[in-house]
Amino acid sequence: MDETPPEKHSDNRTSWFEKPGNIRLIILSLIGVCAGLVLAEFFYTNPHPHFDAEKTFGFHAIVGFVAFVTVVFLGKGLRLLIRRREDYYDA
Amino acid sequence: MMHDLPPGLIMIVGAIFIPFFPRFLQAWFALALSIASAVMLLLIPEGTYGNLQLFDVTLNMVRIDTLSRCFALVFHIAAIVSAIYALHVRDTTQHVAGMLYAGGAIAACCAGDLITLFVFWELTAISSVFLIWASRNEPAYRAGMRYLIIQVGSGVLLLSGAILHYADTGSLAFDLLVEPGERMSTGVLLIFLAFGIKCAFPLMHNWLQDSYPKATVTGTVFLSAFTTKLAVYSLARGFAGTEILIWIGVTMTLFPIMFAVIENDLRKVLAYSLNNQLGFMVVGIGIGTELAINGTVAHAFCHIIYKALLFMSMGAVLYRTGTAKATELGGLHKSMPLTTIFCIIGAGSISGFPLLSGFISKSMILTAAAEEHMFVVWILLLVASAGVMEHSGIKIPFFAFFAHDSGWRVKEAPWNMLLAMGLASALCIGLGIGYQYLYKILPYDMHDLHYEPYTVTHVVTQLQLLLFAALAFVVLIKTGVYPEEMAAINLDSDWVYRRLLPTIIKPVGQAIVATDRWVRGMGRRVLQGANESFEESFSEQGAVGRTWTTSAMAVWAAIILGLCLLLYYL
Repeated sequence: MDETPPEKHSDNRTSWFEKPGNIRLIILSLIGVCAGLVLAEFFYTNPHPHFDAEKTFGFHAIVGFVAFVTVVFLGKGLRLLIRRREDYYDA
Repeated sequence: MMHDLPPGLIMIVGAIFIPFFPRFLQAWFALALSIASAVMLLLIPEGTYGNLQLFDVTLNMVRIDTLSRCFALVFHIAAIVSAIYALHVRDTTQHVAGMLYAGGAIAACCAGDLITLFVFWELTAISSVFLIWASRNEPAYRAGMRYLIIQVGSGVLLLSGAILHYADTGSLAFDLLVEPGERMSTGVLLIFLAFGIKCAFPLMHNWLQDSYPKATVTGTVFLSAFTTKLAVYSLARGFAGTEILIWIGVTMTLFPIMFAVIENDLRKVLAYSLNNQLGFMVVGIGIGTELAINGTVAHAFCHIIYKALLFMSMGAVLYRTGTAKATELGGLHKSMPLTTIFCIIGAGSISGFPLLSGFISKSMILTAAAEEHMFVVWILLLVASAGVMEHSGIKIPFFAFFAHDSGWRVKEAPWNMLLAMGLASALCIGLGIGYQYLYKILPYDMHDLHYEPYTVTHVVTQLQLLLFAALAFVVLIKTGVYPEEMAAINLDSDWVYRRLLPTIIKPVGQAIVATDRWVRGMGRRVLQGANESFEESFSEQGAVGRTWTTSAMAVWAAIILGLCLLLYYL
């Protein structure tokens, strides 16, 4: 490959995204927006629901959260079965 | 006359002349070829051209309709963006291979018959492997070999299928090959398998994750655009409404997610993510309604651009740091702020955030499933969408640019990479906002379909899905449940031909060698024994060859005469 030789030296330069207060701020705003999105359901109705499930309160929020957690846990389980050393195929 | 030549041919022919240019001009010439080819495509009106009489078959080399034009157009965009991204590369092989590959894919998607399709299908296979080999290391060489065997194999299936199909129907035209609900003939089934291999159907998928991460920084960007989407185009042309595709597609959207969650090589994560995106398109083709086909084409269009953008951002990281492994990265937003922003735009697009391109295309496929009352399909696609948020929306940008500071202090990506990523980002945003322009060129008239992406319901529900997925990520990270990145590899179906078959074949081979050696040895011993006994018998001292004494001869003569007498008497 034709890249320039990489430099790796830690300095103590921290950015906005690394300050604990800012991380908390990001997380709190995410929670706030999520709450807002669920509450928004009080102010509109889905004009063309295709399935009954869609009428459940916060349906997409539940799917998003549960699916994400499920996927991660399935991944963790899969890792137990298929993880190998990096040089597995070289040996 | 001009129209009779396949679009993309200028890139294929031009590629042959690239080596004659000085090194610093080769990349620019490749870019010029892509732009010239794009202009030529825009000048061709719809219709069929380039009819060629071969024996008693008429080949139709060029067919421009709404479907092929959409794919040819986005292939050109991908070629131009990739060529800009590769402007700093001083490697003749890669420029020639890139142009042959892109030109071949463009010509293939404009082919009106199966033989022309086959010719360019194989051209894409043979040219693209050089983008993998150009990494010039042993793993890339081996992965390239596996890739080439599988890709050429797909071409052989296509040709065999085409011949059988011709014998059945007397036609080589590349149109709908099987009516929805009907059984496939053997020929059509072979063609289906050929497309399936290139489209990375489940269990036929692993060439993708095996080879793409081993290609060069710029090569992977080319690779991500063409091969699999040519297969999507071909399926949309030949197998729209084939029901089994719905279930194949749903499987494709789901299983790669789990692999992506635990994969350490971020370019391989993107390869799994690419597989998952193809799944959405395959579902759309399987549903086969006008909205579903439009959704598939729109999704392929948007996907090519944001996927190239994501591969470009990870390529830039690899180029600067020499690694794309999550365990070795993190905190790069401080060194590569622009690349970070571009990557986030790509991640937002693939996840389907409103105002970005994925939102206006993927939702068409989900709506099409809902309109056909396919509840299971619809809910599984929703789950898969949350999965996309996991591996491409969060994992890629988070572990490369944020997470813990890995200590890299590198330069921002070169100007040409930034320009290419900037262009792709602009297209992602442009398609998200100006979606009407994309909808206008889709195969079916969108006015008749009454589809509007930006409704309150759609925006709110999509944001719920994505942000609650993000919330789940925060919870899992904070509780320490989220699987940490590990410097390891994960087995996939390539294990069958990289480990299982060789371990089976090895003892079989050894047994054959041993048997062969034993049989030869036996034969040699028998021959040797015979030889020795002959030699002994006919030697001067041997029973046959030695000189006998006169008395012995007289005795033997008397015995024989006696026997003759006896026989005569009887």
